[in-house]
Amino acid sequence: MKPNSKHSRRLIRAAVAVLALVALGGLIAVAQADDTKPAAPKKLTGAELYAVNCNRCHPERYPTEFNSAQWQTIMIHMRVRANLPAKQAKEILKYMKEEAGN
Amino acid sequence: MKNNFTPRFISSAAASCILGLTATQPAAAAVSDEDFNALKATVQQLQQAHDQDQKQIQTLQQQLGETQTLATNAVVAADAVAQAQANPPRNALHNFTMVGDAEIQYAKTYGNGTHNGFELADFAPIFLYRANDNILFEAGFDIMLQNGSASGTNSYNGVAGSAYTHDSGSSTSVSLSFAQMDYLVNDYVTFVGGYMLLPLGTYSERGAGWLNKIPDDPLGVEFLPGAGAGAQLRGAYPLGESGQMLTYAVYCANGPSSVDGTGNAYTLDGGGNKISNLDLGGNVGIQNDGNNGNLHSAPSGGGRLGWFVPWGGAHKDLELGVSGQTGSWDDASSYTWSALVLDGALHVGPNVEVKGEYIDTWYNTSDAGTIRPWGAWVQAGYKLAGLDLDMPIISDIELVGRVDKENNGLDKLGSGLGAETRRYTMGYVYYITNTLLFEGDYEFIHSCIPGSSPLTANQLIFQLSYGF
Repeated sequence: MKPNSKHSRRLIRAAVAVLALVALGGLIAVAQADDTKPAAPKKLTGAELYAVNCNRCHPERYPTEFNSAQWQTIMIHMRVRANLPAKQAKEILKYMKEEAGN
Repeated sequence: MKNNFTPRFISSAAASCILGLTATQPAAAAVSDEDFNALKATVQQLQQAHDQDQKQIQTLQQQLGETQTLATNAVVAADAVAQAQANPPRNALHNFTMVGDAEIQYAKTYGNGTHNGFELADFAPIFLYRANDNILFEAGFDIMLQNGSASGTNSYNGVAGSAYTHDSGSSTSVSLSFAQMDYLVNDYVTFVGGYMLLPLGTYSERGAGWLNKIPDDPLGVEFLPGAGAGAQLRGAYPLGESGQMLTYAVYCANGPSSVDGTGNAYTLDGGGNKISNLDLGGNVGIQNDGNNGNLHSAPSGGGRLGWFVPWGGAHKDLELGVSGQTGSWDDASSYTWSALVLDGALHVGPNVEVKGEYIDTWYNTSDAGTIRPWGAWVQAGYKLAGLDLDMPIISDIELVGRVDKENNGLDKLGSGLGAETRRYTMGYVYYITNTLLFEGDYEFIHSCIPGSSPLTANQLIFQLSYGF
């Protein structure tokens, strides 16, 4: 790959933008750590994890839109597609099955 | 019932007292026949009332017994129903689920002489089959209706006219978007194999019709292979209990290929037209004639590393990712194709979203050096629900905008194929329901082909999309 000044400038701009976002993320993480210092970190419930993760890519689906067996299948699909941690996926599935009502 | 009994008991008690008092009278006391008969009648009446009460008590006891039996039966039946729901009958469709999306588009392009019209009917189902709790087979299809085309020369009464190219009937295309097996090895590793969506950026994995808030794809994603035949390991590590996590994916895939097998930058299609020799969408296996053409000996390797940080609960989060792929693309495996993608997404509350990608690709050729297709896009959305207007229709609208740009890098050797495009898009999403979306966008598109005047062809698109 031969260096190209125009290409390099573009890459540098993109890298600066990413570094700025990383810094923002770091600030958020640090602020979050400060906020949670006095108390033990709160463990998110299945409903909260559902709201945190699912809405990132699509409007939230109602638990009653599928039955328990379907949610079990769909959650494997979403765990792989969205790269969800196993424990979070299990908590979300538990919540969806409880709310599915069948 | 209690009120009926009380007077009777009081009457009985009073009568008993009277009888008791009467019984304690000296035998010598004179009792008239009239008093005796009155008392006798009263006792008889009380006896009758007592008999009736006994019968009523027996009837009530019988009814109570029946009620208890009914309740017991109901509990048994409810237990049976609950057990049946917990263990539903297994059949061929038990673990089978279909999700996906469907779209209808209406569009008008300005500046190129085309008419407006309905231009897309797309049905994109994803079939999911759960073999067990750890194995899932999934396959996505894209079924689309397209216009056929024909060319010829106008003629009327045997007099030859002008040449034309126009539509001729229609055809339906069915394409396989992906077909993969997912095996959850453990909490941190998932194996994926088959024809899989590639984690180059996030758009290819999370950009299905109804997920994307703008009807068409952003510029630049066309320079990436959306899917590839290969194998992948992926997973996520949670950081604490707040939802923060690190995600990873590493894979190998056949990778891009060469249309004619060589490392030349350009080749000719069946009609003799010059085209790019790089083929991002093929190389999925043995050819239908049994030959191994385009299957070079060195598969490509790639991966993505992501960091997700939520804060303050739902709808406030930041996700950053870096991904890339590299490998040979010609049959002799002499030349490499590589890609680097930076992606980011930010949610500031439930109503504000910003996301984008920077896509940089480059590949060596035997005759034109390094070709560098690249693109970048940033998209933002604001849900008017954030204004708290208490107007349902307004609150169901999200305003969206996008800025994107790409350069295909093909302006070498005087190919005439080079092009740079800038596009500005503004529009809306009206959420009829959480899964039925009506989108509308106007796009300002400026294209520049080296050596030619800039082209402007703006576009108006409406889309009804449904996720299921």
